[in-house]
Amino acid sequence: MGLARAGFFLSLLALWQLLAWRGLPAYVLSPLEIIRDFVEALGSAELYEHAAASLARSLPGFAIGTFFGALLGLAAGTARWFDRLFSPAVFVSYPVPKIVMLPMFMLWFGIGDLSKVLIIALACFYPVFINAYYGVKATPAILVWSALNMGAGRGAIFRRVVLPSAAPMIFAGMRVSLALSFIVMFAAEMINARSGLGHLIRVAENSLRFDLMYVSLLAVAILGYAGDRLVRFAQRRLLAWHEQPA
Amino acid sequence: MKRLLPFIFVLVLLGVWEAAAHSGLWSKLLFPSLTSIAYEFARFLATPEQLHEAWVSLYRALGGFALAAAVGIFVGVLMGRSKLAAGLLDPLFSGTYAVPKLALFPVFIFVFGIGSLSKVALVFLECLYPIVIMSYHGARSVNRVLLWSAQNMGASRGETLRRVVIPATAPFIFAGFRVAVPVAMIVVVITEMVSSADGLGYLVIYSLSSLRTDRMLAVVVAIALLGYLLDKAVVLARDRLIYWEKLDTYYV
Repeated sequence: MGLARAGFFLSLLALWQLLAWRGLPAYVLSPLEIIRDFVEALGSAELYEHAAASLARSLPGFAIGTFFGALLGLAAGTARWFDRLFSPAVFVSYPVPKIVMLPMFMLWFGIGDLSKVLIIALACFYPVFINAYYGVKATPAILVWSALNMGAGRGAIFRRVVLPSAAPMIFAGMRVSLALSFIVMFAAEMINARSGLGHLIRVAENSLRFDLMYVSLLAVAILGYAGDRLVRFAQRRLLAWHEQPA
Repeated sequence: MKRLLPFIFVLVLLGVWEAAAHSGLWSKLLFPSLTSIAYEFARFLATPEQLHEAWVSLYRALGGFALAAAVGIFVGVLMGRSKLAAGLLDPLFSGTYAVPKLALFPVFIFVFGIGSLSKVALVFLECLYPIVIMSYHGARSVNRVLLWSAQNMGASRGETLRRVVIPATAPFIFAGFRVAVPVAMIVVVITEMVSSADGLGYLVIYSLSSLRTDRMLAVVVAIALLGYLLDKAVVLARDRLIYWEKLDTYYV
């Protein structure tokens, strides 16, 4: 299977490369050209600066959004009055694309990094909130009963039963949030920024620097992929008892 | 009191907003009053040109979504029922899942042009992932006993697919749809904000550039409403088509 898989991907890449040699339009580079340009860009400081600027926006946004999402989601799942008060507003605004608030955030918090961090945090909040909420709701009642039966207090039940039972769901929400944080970061930088990978790809597009365009594309792809692996790694370490979906 | 609780939070938020608008501490630009937003929203609904922009955004979102649904269900079910297809395609989808496909937009502009096609293509690509992944998951976990009974009663492969696999996968497909619909809206609005001459995302940027934040927020309300209605439509369609299994979520 592994061999067939590798062969499949290599033949896809080879087909692309062959097409490029046959003559593709200038805006489609061949895999070899992309790799060459990327290695070249790794040697210069420019790519690192823009990648660092992007991460400086997406990671704090992700951290803030995830923190409040998990906190309020757990609270809404546990306390009925808070659920009634807060959840309807979250669920109603869930399908709304949060990026449309970016212009408003730029007016409120300035056109610097703060507005971008906050819009990323807002977007990251929803998946984690909803997953934490349903994670708590899906706690098997029998576990709570047994804990009660064995004399556990409310705090102990939350810490030892509800939280571990909701944790896999929270991590699933974090994976969605992480992917979302990169999308929103990229969009915000494409709309308005002076640095970052989204800005770089806009500059490349406007000056028809196709090499730079693919380099920033590949950089975003690598960052997104690495972030996802990191969350999954953390999940495997922290939730070793939970059976992982592949 | 208990029934009113959900409204209290929203009402307080709106009240704070209105108070901020009238306090005179901030410019009207930062907190336009609710009445002016409502007025602009009514004007939005009454102007055919503006409604046309909403229609442009809607058909881009729905076009990309429909394409993704058709291709995604096919690919997902194929992956679920064929080991070979899963082995070849699963690494492709799970490997690029976390990669923001939005980064491809500049490339798509060159390939598909700056009009609707590049946006529809990007919506298609972003919606494809949740639909493929969910239908793959669903088709893989069809109850084996059901498949055996169908075979035992002499059902052909086509019949098994149509009468057993598809209905068993349907709830998962709709779960994928529910993820994909907001994604479609997000992508349409973002791409229209980045580069477009029409659509709701363009209206947002345009009203901002003309310093009419009340008008902009009216468009935001319209986008929110559209996103909400599309989600409701998916839930409604799900409940009609999958009548044998109720959605067990608290809020739908």
